[in-house]
Amino acid sequence: MPQVALDGIRVLELSDGIAASYCAKMFSDYGADVVRIDTPDSPSTSALDADNAEQVALYLHLNANKRSVALDLESERGRGLLRDLALQCDAIVESMSPGVAEGLGIGYEALSSNRPDIVMTSVTPFGQNGPYNGWSYTELTVFAMTGAMNREGLPNRYPLKYGGEIAQYFSGTAAAAATMSALAGAAFTGIGDWIDISIMEVMAGHPHQIGRRAPFAYSGEVDRRTEPRTSSAGGREPYAVGTFRCKDGYVSFLPLGPRMWPNISQMIGRPELQQDPRFLTSEDRYENRHELEEIFQSWLDAHTRMEVFDAAQKAGLPGGPVLHSHETVENEHFRSRSYFQDIVHPVYGNLWHTGLPVILRGMPRSASAPAPERGANSGEVLMEYVGLSETDIRELEDSGVVRNG
Amino acid sequence: MDDSLAKVKRPLSGIRALELAEIWAGPFCGVLLGDMGAEVIKVEAVQRIARGAINPAPVSHGYPDMDPGERPWNRSAAFNGVNRNKKGITLDLTRPAGVEMFKELVSVSDVVFTNYAFGVMDRFGLGYEELKKVKPDIIALFTPGYGNTGPYRTFRSMGMVIDAITGHTALRGYPDMDLSHNSLVHHPDAVAGVSAMFGISMAIRNRARTGRGQFIDLSQAESFIPHLGEVFMQYGLTGEVRPRRGNGHPRMAPHGVYRCAGDDQWVAISVRSDEEWSEMCDVIGMPQLARNPSFQTLGARLRNRDELDDIIGRWTRELGRYEVAEALQMRGIPAGPVLDCGGDTYDDPHLQERGYFQAVEHPEAGIHLYSGPIWKMANRPELRHDPTPGLGEHNDWALGELLGVGSGTLVELELQNIIGSVPLEGADMGGVRRAAELRRQNSA
Repeated sequence: MPQVALDGIRVLELSDGIAASYCAKMFSDYGADVVRIDTPDSPSTSALDADNAEQVALYLHLNANKRSVALDLESERGRGLLRDLALQCDAIVESMSPGVAEGLGIGYEALSSNRPDIVMTSVTPFGQNGPYNGWSYTELTVFAMTGAMNREGLPNRYPLKYGGEIAQYFSGTAAAAATMSALAGAAFTGIGDWIDISIMEVMAGHPHQIGRRAPFAYSGEVDRRTEPRTSSAGGREPYAVGTFRCKDGYVSFLPLGPRMWPNISQMIGRPELQQDPRFLTSEDRYENRHELEEIFQSWLDAHTRMEVFDAAQKAGLPGGPVLHSHETVENEHFRSRSYFQDIVHPVYGNLWHTGLPVILRGMPRSASAPAPERGANSGEVLMEYVGLSETDIRELEDSGVVRNG
Repeated sequence: MDDSLAKVKRPLSGIRALELAEIWAGPFCGVLLGDMGAEVIKVEAVQRIARGAINPAPVSHGYPDMDPGERPWNRSAAFNGVNRNKKGITLDLTRPAGVEMFKELVSVSDVVFTNYAFGVMDRFGLGYEELKKVKPDIIALFTPGYGNTGPYRTFRSMGMVIDAITGHTALRGYPDMDLSHNSLVHHPDAVAGVSAMFGISMAIRNRARTGRGQFIDLSQAESFIPHLGEVFMQYGLTGEVRPRRGNGHPRMAPHGVYRCAGDDQWVAISVRSDEEWSEMCDVIGMPQLARNPSFQTLGARLRNRDELDDIIGRWTRELGRYEVAEALQMRGIPAGPVLDCGGDTYDDPHLQERGYFQAVEHPEAGIHLYSGPIWKMANRPELRHDPTPGLGEHNDWALGELLGVGSGTLVELELQNIIGSVPLEGADMGGVRRAAELRRQNSA
């Protein structure tokens, strides 16, 4: 009987941000036992109003398949229980300011002297040292500093952040990859590690950014925002690059270069344009790109997103529909792969959860559970991990060190 | 075991991986595996290269000092920037002799990963079942854009298109302009590369415990969708479709990017609470503004956002972007300069102090600063940063030393262009055969 991929791995999560929580989610989604630490006064996630819907949605997304223990870390006993829990874990994922983990008694030195194989992953906006250590951040301000923002938007307007919380999720994914490979290494060598993730550095080290920084280093190429259809002759076919209006919405294209001109003219049903003297070479097409874009656009205006998608694929072109998230959930392809997971939440009922980022074929999916209410699993986890009794738990609850359920 | 030796050994040292990959999604996975100590062998072909043009203009951006040199394929900045820590070999996998060599390599490797379109590996005769015959516990990751099953499995995709179908494109751009003004985006490529590294690491650990290999199905779209998870979840909770926000935020104001002194200089500022707003009024030298009812509460600041942004913009306009960011950060208010990928990030004092950039000598491109590994490890302070290999640079090593192929056979393979270090004419036009085929169809 094949096992769930990460069965038997225990991860402790101390996170108030997206990146570290998403890192831990990548473990819980594959069957690791992820215990997140909350505090007894953490706000409930079972009451929804217009002001908190977004935070509740974020919590429900990030914490599916995890367990929650609510501990008062201001108290000596709470910190003692935290240390006891940490030593039972294979990995610690935390997003606290540098130095805070040490103060709580779960710094890497302290833990690894007892558990040399432990992997600790610290996920912070700017890393464990350096002049920005201690700087505050939001997605907007850290994204600005990575090089990514400078290319998003038009040359005569302000630069833009991406949609959503992209830098944080991307860093969380990198943190999970680093943590997982360190755990694999620990399985070989018995020695874990302390991984220092800086959101700024992960996003700055993204191939989009390093692929532009290298040309600057090599030949001083400047990096500026450009019009979406701008592409020099010999580069991509500019009239067909980017996002376009069509009959019922928008579609995106990224043809790979002049070699795709025949595919494009075939897609729009105008193969004769290949013989048109205005469009013979890629230089000609660059010169006459506005005419060509008009031809391209008038074809798009007559077709729906899915018709364009179909025609693009028949012509071998990378192109596809701009969907809104509710359309993505309904999309035939993701449905055929049973990608989105319908999980029942005790308060909110059936909710679609995004699926696994990568599939280990033949490994069963772990049982799916909705995000726990904060502190819902305090008693069971402390009994299981630390060996406390029900009487101990009741006593800890009475003294306010633990919130259970 | 000697503790100090174990600490020097990198987590994936001893793992050998074969990379069949172009652009970013696959190559970036190889970069990260290499960072962690795996031996990554990038397999290319003299019949098809993805290292830029074979004959670029004599003066071209993106080459050292704009000089493509005699072997431009080994001097491309865009390629050398994103392929560190690899060995490079060439094999023509459309011919039996190339496939045979590849299988020999598989027999001494742990991992094969590819971001080729669905079906390409099968056409080479190198589908998972074939790989498994050669090496029963092989770990194989195939990542076509939409994954290895489902109606779109054969579809062509690029990050730009994945961004569109996942719902991200609809969330990007200026809220006052339609989506056709959106910038090009390639972010999902990188997400797939990092997710691939995670999947392969899981499989490596499991193989250490069970002895079993693994087929890994990575859909680039599916690895990216969870990064928008709360948007999907909120729709399920409230039926709300999230609107585009640009740089705005429903619970923070000011929250935007403001012009600073100089050419195209900007600073990003987020004010998270009324207390931070009051602090900010102090910083900009307008303490009375904190008591102005037009801006006193979050609701008021959101209602009067344009006026608010004007006030902030008038203050930042005269100052440097670092100056603004530092002044606000002194009071704990999130702010940061908008940095470009030209000189800005290289000059950033924080990245410099953390040793983010590394001077690496490439034998054909010279010494340049490259961006470092994207994480640091306390026990392995010197994560690798080896220069990107030249085309076919390690053919003799991989086939000769590793597989024991004799030098006579190597010469023979080179004469047949099964291996080589100089691309054949047209090798930079990947889809040239496809284009010719379409032309034939059209004229028929």
